[in-house]
Amino acid sequence: MTLRITAAVLVGRAVRVAARLRGGGSAIPGKIAMTIAPNFLEETISRIPQGVVAVSGSNGKSTTTNMLAAVLRAHGLVVFTNPSGGNLPQGIASAVLSEVSLSGRLNADIAVLEIDEGYGIGLTTLLKPRTVLLLNIQIDQLNRFHEPERVVNMLRGVAGAATRNLILNRDDNHLVDLDTKIPASAARSVTFFGADPALIEGAAHGVASAQRFGDSRIAAGSRLAAVTVSSLGPSSAVLSTAEASFPVRLPSRGLHYALDAAGATAAARAVLGQAFDTSLVTTALEGLATVYGRGELLTIGDESVEIIMMKNPASLQLNLDALETAPEQVFLAVDEGTPDPSWIYDIDLSALDHVDLITGSKANQFAVRLRYAGIPVGGVDLDIRNAVKKFLALPKPSRGRKTMILNYEQMMLIRNSLGFKDLEGGAK
Amino acid sequence: MRETVRILHLVPSTLGQNGETGNVMVLTRRAELHGLAVEVLQQEAGDEFPFDIDLVYIGSGPVSAQIVAQPAILEVASDLRQLADEGVPFLAIAAGFQLLGESVTMADGSVLEGAGVFPVTTTVGGVRVVGDFVVESRLGTLVGFENRGSVVEIGAATPVGTVTYGQGNTVESGVEGYWVGNLVGTHLHGPVLANNPGLADWLLSVALERRGVVYPTDAVPELEEIDRYAAEARRVIAAGPLSE
Ligand SMILES: [Zn+2]
Repeated sequence: MTLRITAAVLVGRAVRVAARLRGGGSAIPGKIAMTIAPNFLEETISRIPQGVVAVSGSNGKSTTTNMLAAVLRAHGLVVFTNPSGGNLPQGIASAVLSEVSLSGRLNADIAVLEIDEGYGIGLTTLLKPRTVLLLNIQIDQLNRFHEPERVVNMLRGVAGAATRNLILNRDDNHLVDLDTKIPASAARSVTFFGADPALIEGAAHGVASAQRFGDSRIAAGSRLAAVTVSSLGPSSAVLSTAEASFPVRLPSRGLHYALDAAGATAAARAVLGQAFDTSLVTTALEGLATVYGRGELLTIGDESVEIIMMKNPASLQLNLDALETAPEQVFLAVDEGTPDPSWIYDIDLSALDHVDLITGSKANQFAVRLRYAGIPVGGVDLDIRNAVKKFLALPKPSRGRKTMILNYEQMMLIRNSLGFKDLEGGAK
Repeated sequence: MRETVRILHLVPSTLGQNGETGNVMVLTRRAELHGLAVEVLQQEAGDEFPFDIDLVYIGSGPVSAQIVAQPAILEVASDLRQLADEGVPFLAIAAGFQLLGESVTMADGSVLEGAGVFPVTTTVGGVRVVGDFVVESRLGTLVGFENRGSVVEIGAATPVGTVTYGQGNTVESGVEGYWVGNLVGTHLHGPVLANNPGLADWLLSVALERRGVVYPTDAVPELEEIDRYAAEARRVIAAGPLSE
């Protein structure tokens, strides 16, 4: 078997080099490695001594994985992780390729892996995570998942795969009692994270958790949390455990980012046990770079451009809720990566007082929505490059910041076209 | 004669997923921009039924929500049938359309009784169809998004239109929805009225006609702007429809 792994590493790496020279296709090398050695992921990742932490949910996977890896590193662990967006099997395999030895060994104490919901059951069957951290279940990709209940079922399977620790968001309608919906295991401890109820009530749309119908349940928020968000600042929060309260820096404004930090902290606490140190959480999150499009600020010429990613209704709503004032110059780009934008009619867009320019194949549908909400639209230009050029040519805003609201595909395209060439999903 | 359009929105707490409430907003905004007042009444389980209604709307949701919504719909089934008999226009979307039909046969074989407003039956199952949806109707091209895990039998009734992209009621039928008299049921999402303002205007004009009021056709700049964007949205979808 080792020979086969070695072959997979060699060929995968050659493909990786070729793919990078052409400037794309970061998941392809991993796919090829898995074709050569079907057990590529198990053989490499299962040898990591402290096992796998799997992070999943509708929103915040990349941010939280990034936070958790940083916190564990601050505690002295060598962490193997997948770069944001590389959360399908081939993406994880590509990440392995960039670090694995020819014999298939990864130099890591622990793996922290962002896991796509749809591939969650398959991946956790392969990777047998010791720890599972589930963030939220929100209305997301109905074109792909059809109904939120299917996501609930998938994440129930992921939760049930946790052998040691299961960490759940108590403020999520579906996760609050997910531990009672999976086969019990004496070896598995369950902990919760959440936010002070006043913070959730104070947020314009709460945590945007998917509504739950039918079955008997307990109310979101009603579990005792090991880590809570106890206060929230513009880009910082205070987290509390039973023993201590400590400040953390957040990638951007918003309760959702604070909950991501609480989830990462609760997972670190479960993994590290006695070694867990809250001051190291503060240190780790202080020095963290933002993940693409999650509250990221790009510098283009002498201007700063804030990127707001709209992955799904919840992420757009929470990011809009977190705006302090209506942004001065707004660009919107949405394409086929958002096949069914119907959900924009569920979103409260009142945080925007106008949009300057819309592009992408769904641009006209967004213009209709905005106009029905009474929000002025400067115009639509379906030529994406042209639209970006026009927007960047607008006079520098008085508050010094342009705002781009983009779906994932448009974010990657526009980042790339502006010269930010480092790709998500595997290439380093 | 009053100038208020009264819209009955059935079970919005359960059947309001994926932007479907946008249809009510579109009807409301269009009527308001033409100078009409609009009152939206929400009908939930246990509410008294308001008969003085000009238009009935029901949205969609997942099967779990459909099951929860069904008793609330059955409570008022005969009232709804009476409104339909009186010619009150209905717009019913997907899960809501199915619940206003005769029955919904679930994947496990159990049968959910419907309100019997639409003489159609639904069977959950078959291949999941997900993608852009283009239908040629008597109002021209209607576009939307199809996300369907069931088939609807409408018998010999008139459909909303002929499918030019997507599946429609069944794999073989080649037609979408049900449109007989003033009753419209469809699986066009989008929400359907957002990108197809002609259908919204038709519903409003039929609703007003019953009261002897003519729906205004004066040019409203804000609606003209919206409708230009909607026409472009239809053009873009119809020119290059995609599915999963
Ligand atoms: Zn502006």
